[in-house]
Amino acid sequence: MKKCVLLFTCGLLVAMTLLTSAGGVQADEKRYKRSEEKYVIPDVTLINQDRQKVRLVDLLHSEKPVLLDFIYGTCTTICPVLSAGFSSLQRKLAADSEKVQLVSISIDPEYDTPEVMTEYLEKYQAKPGWVFLTGTREDIDKVMRAFDAYVPNKMSHYPITFLHAPGGERWVRIYGLIGTSDLMNEYQGLLRR
Amino acid sequence: MASHRRTLPETAAFLTAATVLLMLFFAGWVSAATVKPPAVAGLSEAEALRLGERMYRQGILPSGEPMLAIVQRDIEVEGTMFSCESCHLRSGLGSVEGKVITLPTNATELFKPFTSAAEEAIPAWSTMPQPIQWKIHRPAYTDETLAMALWAGIDPNGRELNWTMPRYLLEDRDMEILVFYLRHLSAAPSPGVTSSTIRLATVIAGEVPQSDREAMLAVLEAHIQARNGQSRREEERAKKSPFFRMKKTSAYRRLELVRWVLKGPPETWERQLADYYQQAPVFALLGGITSGEWAPVHAFCEVNRIPSILPLTRYPVVADSDWYTLYFTKGLYQEGEAAARFLRGLEEVPGDAPVVQVYRDDRDGRILAQAFSEVRGKLKQDPPQEAVLAPDSKVGKAFWQDLAKKHPGAVLLLWLPPRDLVGMEALGGLPEQPGKIFVSAGLLGDALSTIPETVRSFTYLTYPYRLPQERAKQMAVVRNWLRVKNIPLTNPEIQSGMYFAGWLLSNALMMMESDYYRDYFLDGIDMMNDEVYAIALYPRLSFGQGQRYASKGCYVVQLGEGSPPPLLPRSEWVIH
Repeated sequence: MKKCVLLFTCGLLVAMTLLTSAGGVQADEKRYKRSEEKYVIPDVTLINQDRQKVRLVDLLHSEKPVLLDFIYGTCTTICPVLSAGFSSLQRKLAADSEKVQLVSISIDPEYDTPEVMTEYLEKYQAKPGWVFLTGTREDIDKVMRAFDAYVPNKMSHYPITFLHAPGGERWVRIYGLIGTSDLMNEYQGLLRR
Repeated sequence: MASHRRTLPETAAFLTAATVLLMLFFAGWVSAATVKPPAVAGLSEAEALRLGERMYRQGILPSGEPMLAIVQRDIEVEGTMFSCESCHLRSGLGSVEGKVITLPTNATELFKPFTSAAEEAIPAWSTMPQPIQWKIHRPAYTDETLAMALWAGIDPNGRELNWTMPRYLLEDRDMEILVFYLRHLSAAPSPGVTSSTIRLATVIAGEVPQSDREAMLAVLEAHIQARNGQSRREEERAKKSPFFRMKKTSAYRRLELVRWVLKGPPETWERQLADYYQQAPVFALLGGITSGEWAPVHAFCEVNRIPSILPLTRYPVVADSDWYTLYFTKGLYQEGEAAARFLRGLEEVPGDAPVVQVYRDDRDGRILAQAFSEVRGKLKQDPPQEAVLAPDSKVGKAFWQDLAKKHPGAVLLLWLPPRDLVGMEALGGLPEQPGKIFVSAGLLGDALSTIPETVRSFTYLTYPYRLPQERAKQMAVVRNWLRVKNIPLTNPEIQSGMYFAGWLLSNALMMMESDYYRDYFLDGIDMMNDEVYAIALYPRLSFGQGQRYASKGCYVVQLGEGSPPPLLPRSEWVIH
């Protein structure tokens, strides 16, 4: 019995130590998780902010390097930071910004109409070369699944950015919210391939 | 705006200088901290709060310029891209999205020590032996340490905040205004909540049929009774429960649902609502039903910042930026909108085809026509022609034949009730037969058979509900719940709607724990998962920050042969 009490007390203290050390404030030493993956792009046609039909395969397999993320217009934390990152990258690339294709795909297609997407891009001072896509829920789900980024509900989503070089077989998958210099390094690495 | 943008080196220099200045300023400020001014010098409290609120919600400085910040170490952002509210939400209680948790920044949380221990723990944590007391992650913020966190991302322990939290480039006075606002943000529980009760009201406005009123009340009261029934002995657990999840159990309150019955002309309703509120304030409005208008209730809630959850109204207020009323749909407006979008996507109808809206000069007709015209304008298409029927004019076979001759081959939007569609079979088989006809399910109601079989091949119906053939499973959920509650199924639309309203209330209250702030109640609903199960009438109800119409879609269908006719979908649920 004494042993049980001792074990329980030790367990409680260990658990409390672990819990108390998990604070809300932490330095982000490990900034992001990176991997390279092969994805098969589904043959779906989505709609861009100008209400034009866009065949996703054609857009992603164009002559330009592609950066892609999944966002939605009324997202609270993840998407604003991802989109600020895209906006910042376009500013840094300046005149070269049109040489890279930025693609944001809505995971809230019911709400994200072309009007909402246009307003969103304006808010982030998007330049030509950044396209925001919506579509039917079925098609959006197919795309998320293809990129191993499926979430059944938009509130469960997570921050991922994908990079692809023209003609490349693999995509770079970045998990986490990252700054412009890290994103720029990844982008330049892509160009050196 | 671009001319005010700092470059990154300038920004870094600014940040460093701001930090140094802060240090110097800090020393003086701390010594003077005992004499705290009541508001920001030179501003009334109301003006300081207005300016602070604009900074927090819209990211706009008192000067009118956007706030500037650095996020993720090197991303320059303007407040107009996203603001404090984007992540910490309107209440300041923070958000949870996937694995990303944004901590609270409201007054009560900021200005007390942050620890994982529940305050209401029995026995109090402070009385426990020191080794097992919970660690204080950070002491309470002061105005000065909070400014340091906002400027440089350093918390009162000297630890660096995660770089997802922006570092704001603010002048001293602007910082003072923002901190002043945060001192007042969700600082005290909202009215309508006591230590034992949450008071809610449901509004019954105008001459609502007795059967409709009873159908709504029976469902809402069953929800209230279920919560107050304390099947898990909640009140007892709140008093005696040990510390584990204490906050959840101590948050329990009984619900009280009062009826606010509005009589007389709608112009007098706001006054009546104010009188009810003055007698005994409520935390929120739940459901509600009206014979016509809802706008006065909407306006009352907006002005007084009272949440109003899912009223049953034919005339929801369609507004882009209003906050406090959550509707099921945009009503008839949503149908006019869907017709315009669907028509634009029809390849067989050229963009310059003549389009004519036919409607009575009454409220229903005007809403549908306005929605169709507005969306057509947004789609950069020519405005439709209009044939507006006077209130006393008759419609019949001759009318339809004349209309077809006048607009041969046109697309006709017949925003008319069933009684005005009599004789429309005359439109079929004419040399001038219309190209397409659109009618509204909201106006037809159950009288779908009004559409004669001779015109069904080119007639489309806007249908803002789950298709009847796909409704059985979800309706069974509602039916079974009603059976358990001993409530007869008399009005599936009202009862399934209020079933969902009660379900939503229950979930929102569970999430709130004891943080009874009205804005947090709405924030909680905004953060909820999309719902496809606890609803019968709509395929999906979805939420999100500021999204105020839960059902976003509207099918366009055609009618098959027979009576009642089967509905054949011709569009997706959401038409872009």
